[in-house]
Amino acid sequence: MAELRRPELVCPAGTPAALKSAVDAGADCVYVGFRDETNARNFPGLNFSRKELEEGIAYAHDKGAKVLVAINTFPRAGEPELWHQAVADADRLGADAAILADIGLIAHAAHRHPGLRLHLSVQAAASNPDSIRFYAGRFGVKRVVLPRVLTVAEIAAINPQIAPVETEVFVFGGLCVMAEGRCALSSYATGQSPNMNGVCSPASHVRYVESAGGTTSQLAGFTINRFGANEPAGYPTLCKGRFIANGTASYLFEEPTSLNTLGMLPDLIKAGVTAFKIEGRQRGRAYVAAVVQAFRAGIDAAMAGRPLPDIDLDRITEGGRQTTGAYERAWR
Amino acid sequence: MEAQSRPGLRPMTPPFTPVLLLGLALGPVRPALLQPVFDALLRLVRRRHPDILERMEPFADRLVCIDPIDLPFALLLEPKPAEPSLTVRRFVDPDEVHATIRGPLETLIALAEGKVDGDALFFSRQLVIEGDTEVVVALRNAVDGAGIDLVADFASLFGPLARPAERAAAAALDLAGSLRSGVETVRQALIGPALQSAQSQGARLAELEAEVKALRKAARRGLA
Repeated sequence: MAELRRPELVCPAGTPAALKSAVDAGADCVYVGFRDETNARNFPGLNFSRKELEEGIAYAHDKGAKVLVAINTFPRAGEPELWHQAVADADRLGADAAILADIGLIAHAAHRHPGLRLHLSVQAAASNPDSIRFYAGRFGVKRVVLPRVLTVAEIAAINPQIAPVETEVFVFGGLCVMAEGRCALSSYATGQSPNMNGVCSPASHVRYVESAGGTTSQLAGFTINRFGANEPAGYPTLCKGRFIANGTASYLFEEPTSLNTLGMLPDLIKAGVTAFKIEGRQRGRAYVAAVVQAFRAGIDAAMAGRPLPDIDLDRITEGGRQTTGAYERAWR
Repeated sequence: MEAQSRPGLRPMTPPFTPVLLLGLALGPVRPALLQPVFDALLRLVRRRHPDILERMEPFADRLVCIDPIDLPFALLLEPKPAEPSLTVRRFVDPDEVHATIRGPLETLIALAEGKVDGDALFFSRQLVIEGDTEVVVALRNAVDGAGIDLVADFASLFGPLARPAERAAAAALDLAGSLRSGVETVRQALIGPALQSAQSQGARLAELEAEVKALRKAARRGLA
């Protein structure tokens, strides 16, 4: 039997302090974004200036960790300069890879920055061998972040068909049930989307209205949920809204819940996955430290053949609930 | 506490902690007497963490109310990079601020120090935010990203004596921890009997729910 490859632990950082927390907690790689709409977490007060990225890369490299720069939104037609500059700066500052989604930007990066390692963002929604082979063959993409719609068995089937292209899968954090990079729900309500502006349900359009009965969350004036006084809450995205249909209020698309695959790491390692990704550049450094420590311990235990650690991450999950999502498709 | 009982806002029940007792003691104190403490705190934060105001630059004109529910006052933050202010106020009219962040003082401090995750606090309803969500998210991210360590920041005020000051601050925190533990014991003693009764009622309710469920299931099968 072939020896199992130790997967890289790829961790989020929205700020330099979170980057340090991730590296110190045992991250192999940290992924970050610039402070503009070139990345899919373009949230207020978040992300890196060029100087902060340079310092962050130095800190990570000094501790043996890599830094990946997400430039994973889609450039506006006729205005690609901001995105081109982001790729150039990531290359110039010594990023270990750029995570890209737009096919034109990928072509630009492959042509103008041949030394820059390219990863395909989940925003590109490449979920089958033909698609992945195309990006690898035409642009030299080395790794693909798989959409959160595949089972472990499907991932295991894809990996040998695309070798030597690496796969990276999400192991913890927020879930996106829509076709990533193509979802227009946020755009429909607010005019801004993660694909073009880097924001899903932008904070500028979110309001929480408190009353004696609890909290009402609104997005651009649409009421999308009401939480009882002690009921766990979730993100104010339309896909996690609770709507009344046929007289019953329910989560029509997805309940507020977080992905947690800590218990299935050995299966994902056996499936030939190269890197495990933790979602949450928008989360605080306490989240980063807790989740990275848990998955560092989990990967180390799985590789050593030891029992997986029983680490409770409930307190940091959305809605206070966890799921293994599409990996197991327990709802079937 | 007057600060959290403003009209139109969902009241939060403050936890029974030493901070609550401190808040009761501070009740008669005029905010103006506390203002120098917060002026010094703001100067310290500006000096040690200038990146916070840099990240808040797009929101310089927004007023944020920080409302510790266990203290009899709230703080009004105006994050102007050149001239920020942190004002102690007995009352804050919701209409005069762009946003409000409300929670127990210890939770707000832990959030500022990056010891807890803001989203997790919101999910578990330990933190209430109202008004302009954008400025609240920006402030949370800016503060979390600054890597604030209040003990080290406080100790830095003492220059060459920073080390002893840090040790003194750590000892004070230990003392506060012991006090907290004592207050928790008092709380348990006060509510213990009621809690026991509620637990037994809860267990009985769970039994009854299980019985009803079984009966309904049997009825559906036509056995009842």
